[in-house]
Amino acid sequence: MAVVTKAETPPRPPRSRRLLYRLRVLRHDPTAALGLILVVVLGYLVVAPLVAVLSDAFRLQYGDDVHAGQAAGEWTGYYLWRVFRSQISGLLFWQPLLNTLVVALGTVLFALVLGGGMAWLVTRTNVPGRKWLAGALVVPYMLPSWTFSLAWLTLFKNERAGGQVGFLQAQGVHTPDWLAYGALPIIVTLGLHYYPFVLLLVGNALRRIDAQLVDSARILGAPQRTVVRRIVIPLMLPALSSAVLLVVGRVLGTFGTPYVLGLPADFRVLSTGLFQSIRDRSTGVASVLATVIVVIGVVIVLADTRMTREHRRFVTVGGKGGMDRLSDLRRVRWPAFALGLVVFGVSVLVPVLTLLLSTVTRTPLDLSTFTLDYWLAERLPGAVGFPHGVFRGSELWAAAWNSLRIVGLASVICAVAGLLVGYVVVRGTAPRVAFFLRQVSFLPYLVPGIAFAAASLSLFAVARGPIPALYGTTFLLILVMAVTHLPYSSRSGIAAMTQLGREPEEAAQIAGAPWFQRMGRIIFPIQKGALVTGIVLPFISGLKELSIVVMLTTTGTELLTTLSIGLVDYGYTQLANAVVLVIALVSFTMTYLTQRLTKSSLASGLGG
Amino acid sequence: MPAITLTGVAKSYGGGEHAVRNLDLTVPDGAFMCLLGPSGCGKTTTLRMIAGLEQPTAGTIAVGDRVLDSVERGLYVPPEKRGMGLVFQNYALWPHLSVRDNVEFGLRMRKVPAVERRARAEAALKMVHVDAAMDRYPSQLSGGQQQRVALARMLAVNPSVLLLDEPLSNLDARLRLEMRAELKRIHEESGATIVFVTHDQLEALTMATDVAVMNEGELQQVAAPMDMYDRPANRFVAEFVGSPPMAIVDVGPSPAGLAGSLLRFAESRVPGSLEGAQCSPTAVGIRPEALRLGPPPGATWCEEAVVEAVLPAGSSWTVRLRVLDTELYAVSYTPVEAAPGDVVTCWTERMHLFGADGARLSAWDGAASPAKGAVA
Ligand SMILES: Nc1ncnc2c1ncn2[C@@H]1O[C@H](COP(=O)(O)OP(=O)(O)OP(=O)(O)O)[C@@H](O)[C@H]1O
Ligand SMILES: [Mg+2]
Repeated sequence: MAVVTKAETPPRPPRSRRLLYRLRVLRHDPTAALGLILVVVLGYLVVAPLVAVLSDAFRLQYGDDVHAGQAAGEWTGYYLWRVFRSQISGLLFWQPLLNTLVVALGTVLFALVLGGGMAWLVTRTNVPGRKWLAGALVVPYMLPSWTFSLAWLTLFKNERAGGQVGFLQAQGVHTPDWLAYGALPIIVTLGLHYYPFVLLLVGNALRRIDAQLVDSARILGAPQRTVVRRIVIPLMLPALSSAVLLVVGRVLGTFGTPYVLGLPADFRVLSTGLFQSIRDRSTGVASVLATVIVVIGVVIVLADTRMTREHRRFVTVGGKGGMDRLSDLRRVRWPAFALGLVVFGVSVLVPVLTLLLSTVTRTPLDLSTFTLDYWLAERLPGAVGFPHGVFRGSELWAAAWNSLRIVGLASVICAVAGLLVGYVVVRGTAPRVAFFLRQVSFLPYLVPGIAFAAASLSLFAVARGPIPALYGTTFLLILVMAVTHLPYSSRSGIAAMTQLGREPEEAAQIAGAPWFQRMGRIIFPIQKGALVTGIVLPFISGLKELSIVVMLTTTGTELLTTLSIGLVDYGYTQLANAVVLVIALVSFTMTYLTQRLTKSSLASGLGG
Repeated sequence: MPAITLTGVAKSYGGGEHAVRNLDLTVPDGAFMCLLGPSGCGKTTTLRMIAGLEQPTAGTIAVGDRVLDSVERGLYVPPEKRGMGLVFQNYALWPHLSVRDNVEFGLRMRKVPAVERRARAEAALKMVHVDAAMDRYPSQLSGGQQQRVALARMLAVNPSVLLLDEPLSNLDARLRLEMRAELKRIHEESGATIVFVTHDQLEALTMATDVAVMNEGELQQVAAPMDMYDRPANRFVAEFVGSPPMAIVDVGPSPAGLAGSLLRFAESRVPGSLEGAQCSPTAVGIRPEALRLGPPPGATWCEEAVVEAVLPAGSSWTVRLRVLDTELYAVSYTPVEAAPGDVVTCWTERMHLFGADGARLSAWDGAASPAKGAVA
């Protein structure tokens, strides 16, 4: 009888044999091939643009050869010098950088105070109507971020920028430039858009804090203040730092608000500076700026990942004891509710109503000048570029159709790609491919949207090898939009597939089903729900998207968002407001319905 | 019906520790083989390799003359072409299909016409007593029902090789008995070759025609159930098979104490039998059922013992004894009169001797041939 000693490692067949065997296995299992294709395609769409923009930053562009004293196409430090050290570097880079920092810092503070306070109110206190408040206070996040800036202009615009003045000015109250344009309005409007973000993150963390932890500190004799300082704040640190870093990252890449509120006062931030450089066709400078934005974005996300990992040990596990003990507000319950209402009013009702009223009055918000012309008129005298109400003519409908088509296709591609990434990762037949896939599909998360668009422009503006120039095509818009939303969809794809596991597919395999049957009859039908959410969430966020598309659209590929910004450029405030209202209504309705139907929370779709 | 042959099969996940090492195993044609072993010993891995869901890092797997995997020769047949049946440890029912559609799926893939498909699915579900839940979805079934649907899903296609990964673990005791009988009947009727993974040695001993015991990825012994019980190949099998487990006493450097007493007795009974062995015994094992209380019937080994506890268990009594400063368990199928603290005589007619490497050297079985004793 075989006596078994805990043996030497079993003999391995020679390498060539193992390889042959492995190839045979791969021939029957398309997972690895699929993974490889995804790696190559995503690698090209994600990595190549970044490489292209980096190389553009260091290569002399056509037209600059005279100034730089070098031949076009040579390696050069000219653009670095121009952006960082030349006489105009203050204008090109340092002032915008400073402005970006000011705006980011201000927005973060604003959002933290408002979002943190409201988070505490709706999660830890017995404020009346907290369920409703919790839902109502995230609505600003469902509106396009620059809705608020248009509302702001409608109220505070002065005669400096041309076009129609705002409500206050029309009433004879002079609004100084610092109130109408620049840092302060940008901070307030961005803060109003981003505080729900803080509310969600901090609220989740607050909900997880174990009441017993707080109680035991109290029992040990710690006064309330000490408890907050020594227990609550440290426990909240991961969520807070995440919120701060992510808001900073968003502000860095946001375009609409600083464009609308900054440009009339020559207040530039990095994103609008980048846009301006591209519009001026100074590709080299734009590439340097894009690279800087990418670097800052990467640093921020890495810092966040690092912090989160470091704070992992703080995470209070279980939640068994985490029963909801709410602070009793006693006499201030109703005042607190009123405060919540005020925040809702200021962040939702006031902007939306302002926009709405502005579109039905000739003099802003003066109901005696009521008119539906801006929506319905056949002819609008004075508006040369858009001589009719928004619902007339073909512009709005064409843009809406473009939005629907482009964003819709991008979302479908994105969701399917995300699920396939999840499939390859979970299937585990090709661990190394799966690893790369995970990394590559996450990469766009590091890159602020506007910089990524600039990078794609670098790559696709001209024909390269077999790939023709794609600038101005719908195809490019679809690709870029799909790629930028990929991190979210691949994450949720991986989550969905991990939860499913690979056994259902294996069972089908045992039952004799070939690969396409397994995909068509088992995997996709089971993941139907995940697929729908995976399409709808990018769709909603893509519909509101401006930063990514603003550089890529041309006359033929106008989207709703770019149409609205174009109307702002013309100074047709009412028309621009009307279009933004249409976007806001669509995106809010869709978000609301999705949450209702799929019971998914907005938190999972924070990719806005 | 085919025999399954595994030759030199090894498997390591991602180049790490081996989950299965050097497995040489033949499941004879039409056998009902139980794979038995502690958790994590590689049973599921072995089964998945046979099914083709996992690829060996070395070795050959064949069914009949058909080579399914051969790393050395670069041959591979994908699972969907192997035509086997597999029941997963966690059922793996398809949540979006009704019970009926789950069971019909395999037939659909084999292009069986709809009418026949329906009939066969219903018959399979009837066999496992879930035909009443035919139109429900898996999430609306209890764990045991899901397990039975998984069985039916496999049985419906009537494969000649059935692989079952702990298919009865979630059933209650009565249903389990019933399903065991059912599986045995299916085996006899279809003549399929069955590999059945289980934790439960009682299941293995009662159902199997052959039992294979694994530990840490290595095959320990393959034998018919009672052979396995009577002649365990080594210490691991001796301790793993049988409940309560065999007591094994190590022989220390000085042959005093219980082990010494047993060893001297064995040597005096069967002189010379131990000298032939490659190495001298270092441990002696006694099965609790073989340890008896009361006056010894003749020339058997016996010692004084102190009763420490008596634990009645319905049809049997387990007695904890202290013999020569060593704790031993005895199982009796007649009522035990002794009380804790009593001094009794214990005796046995059967003992197993183990060598330094753990292999069983021999056994003394006084009952087999009362006059002389016998060496097996
Ligand atoms: N996919 C995998 N990747 C890495 N290691 C694995 C994988 N699957 C199993 N293992 C390891 O291989 C060994 C054998 O696992 P296997 O599932 O075959 O055990 P088992 O005998 O079926 O156990 P149980 O009785 O608990 O089901 C274990 O150490 C396990 O951790
Ligand atoms: Mg197992």
